[in-house]
Amino acid sequence: MIRILANRMRIWLVAGLVVSSVVLSGSFINAAQAQKGPIKVGFSMALTGALAGGGKQALEAMKIWRDDINAKGGMLGRQVDLVYYDDQTNPKNVPGIYAKLLDVDKVDFIVSGYGTNLIAPAMPVAIDREVVFMGLFGMNNNKKWKYEKYFQILPAGPDPAVGFSSNWFEAIKSFKPKTIALVAADAEFARNLKEGAVTNAKRMGLEIVYNKNYPPKTADFTPIVRAVNAKKPDIFYIASYPNGSAGIVRALAEVGSDAKAIGGGMVGLQFAGIMAGLGPNLNGILNYDFYVPEPTMAIYPGSSELIKRYQEKVKTEGLKTDALGYYLVPWAYAYVDILGQAVNAVGKIDHDAIAEYIHKTKFTTVVGDVEFGDNGEWTESRTIVVQYQGIKNNDLGQFAKPGTRKIMLPEDIKTGDVQPFNALR
Amino acid sequence: MIGRYKFEIGCILVLALAFLATQAEFNRFYYFAGFAILQYVMIATAWNILGGYGGYINFGTAGFLGVGSYVAIGLIEWGDAAIVWQVVAAAVVAGLLGLFIGYFTLRLKGVYFAIATLALAIVLETIVNNWDFVGGAAGISILPPRKPELLGILIVDRKGDGIFSNSKEFLFFLMAAMAIFSVWVARTVERGKLGRGLNAIKDNEEAAECMGVPTLRLKLIATTLSGALMGAAGGIFPSYMTFVDPPTAFNLEFAVNSLAMPMIGGTFTWLGPVVGAVLLGTVQQIAIVTISSELNLLILGVLLVIFVTVAPHGIVGWFMKKNK
Repeated sequence: MIRILANRMRIWLVAGLVVSSVVLSGSFINAAQAQKGPIKVGFSMALTGALAGGGKQALEAMKIWRDDINAKGGMLGRQVDLVYYDDQTNPKNVPGIYAKLLDVDKVDFIVSGYGTNLIAPAMPVAIDREVVFMGLFGMNNNKKWKYEKYFQILPAGPDPAVGFSSNWFEAIKSFKPKTIALVAADAEFARNLKEGAVTNAKRMGLEIVYNKNYPPKTADFTPIVRAVNAKKPDIFYIASYPNGSAGIVRALAEVGSDAKAIGGGMVGLQFAGIMAGLGPNLNGILNYDFYVPEPTMAIYPGSSELIKRYQEKVKTEGLKTDALGYYLVPWAYAYVDILGQAVNAVGKIDHDAIAEYIHKTKFTTVVGDVEFGDNGEWTESRTIVVQYQGIKNNDLGQFAKPGTRKIMLPEDIKTGDVQPFNALR
Repeated sequence: MIGRYKFEIGCILVLALAFLATQAEFNRFYYFAGFAILQYVMIATAWNILGGYGGYINFGTAGFLGVGSYVAIGLIEWGDAAIVWQVVAAAVVAGLLGLFIGYFTLRLKGVYFAIATLALAIVLETIVNNWDFVGGAAGISILPPRKPELLGILIVDRKGDGIFSNSKEFLFFLMAAMAIFSVWVARTVERGKLGRGLNAIKDNEEAAECMGVPTLRLKLIATTLSGALMGAAGGIFPSYMTFVDPPTAFNLEFAVNSLAMPMIGGTFTWLGPVVGAVLLGTVQQIAIVTISSELNLLILGVLLVIFVTVAPHGIVGWFMKKNK
């Protein structure tokens, strides 16, 4: 009896495997033979993993753009469709996703996922296929390749590694510092950023007393903060990704620091969930940003309306994503908008012509006028320096109002004065 | 005479088919996915030489593969070495590493040997994390040359002047050739004195030693061969992926796959890893396209549990009634 049952089980198992293989192979072939329909824009996006906080809000912004452009008639008179896959914030998944987008989904255009580390593995694919490639917040990704069809939306200027932190170093001049400690996550973005910070520090004549990278998977940052404290730096520059940023802020709350200025390139402190989670521990941190709800941010008039639409969308659709959307929404909208404007202006899918058009055009977008230089970076830097001040509790609502992230620089939109780190603790 | 070389003729025919497939200019993704499957054929076959024939469970596949990848990256960064040299150097270095590691760990048995090989991958990953020349923890992007040449022959050219019209086709063919070679090596090992010796070690090492089987020497040859083949598979990996960072090159997924594929296909014959790798590799590639890349390991886990329970000698063993 048992033997009969075992034999039947074997037969069903083999049959099951064969049937599933055939069914799955069928879908495989169907997917590969996707027919021409709407214009497809393909990309990988960090919808899970360390950068999901940014990736999810970027995706929603891109969906808003898709709806907007489709309402206006689409691209080249065809509706626009977004084709995307979760890269899990894992660079290893990216080349395969773009190969799939180009060969199986037959997308017409590819744009990048969010962040330098996820753009880097997609660059060789875009270069190999000789297609226009729009980047979302890439730090110096084109330095090695000098690819003429790459354009990215991070407003860090023509020399992004240096331009990203130049305002930050301008802001700390009032402390008359002499020494600096630098710490960075051992990842593409943070290393590039620290490289630029070192250049700026040397220009200011600062003595570098500590300059180290930490492995991206580091969980406990108190030994790093203690090691930095032992060097007694006047300034503590940090280039980190979300998990590291939150960990360092917590370590600073536990160990403390006598440095007058701390922060610089801490990604993630702009995400609603992380801000609410860290609450008053953020006070005193001096960091970069691109958009904050301060009254002087009227320089990007289109952004305010877009962010309101995004926040409404998050509420009405009950989306589990960043509730505020200040950090990425305008930029994620703008980078696909520029592509849409260029394609419609050129009037055909010709990647050479589209790249040439993007190079020579000043685009009007929700983040103001945008122009790209030879390396695909912005021709000017618009990074702002903010200091976290007056945060009383963990209520998210306070971050939607002016006053918690005051602008220190640029001068023309300044809303506060930079204060020593410990004066705000 | 022909009957004696039936297998070799079959290998040449399969290679010719692979070459014809590259000339048919299918959708480029098929070559991309096909490469991944063939790479697993090679890795699973290499693993099976020590794990299947000798019974020594190696969890350090990712270590050997990672070393191969980083040897290739080092050669690219140092002097833009041609891919053939990348693969040869990767095989030599990983083979020597296999010999070295084998000498120090083969005195360990069972779970202790498995843990030691697992530790090898972690140690190597830590070294690469701190080696900036090959990109360190940040990883490195590689752009395969547009018009690679070998002995004055143009290999790839998009305009049709080369043997292949794009690098993915060339890499697919090269991987097919390497996979076929590794299967030939495994079959030769299996049918020779080395295979019989390793089988004796697997059954009872002490008894084999008493019967005059040079156990240490055979195990060292097996680790060297297995390591070299894994390293060669790693050597071609950077050109295929175009981006490599330590978590990618030393991914535990390689270790799990290289172990699961022979287990599912059958570890007692060269055909087992091939069947396991083709079946699992294909299902994984289909899952990537149709469902989610996350599902890969779930499929692997479920199939492994089923086969270990229902067919401990794998698919090949099942059809050969070995499970009874």
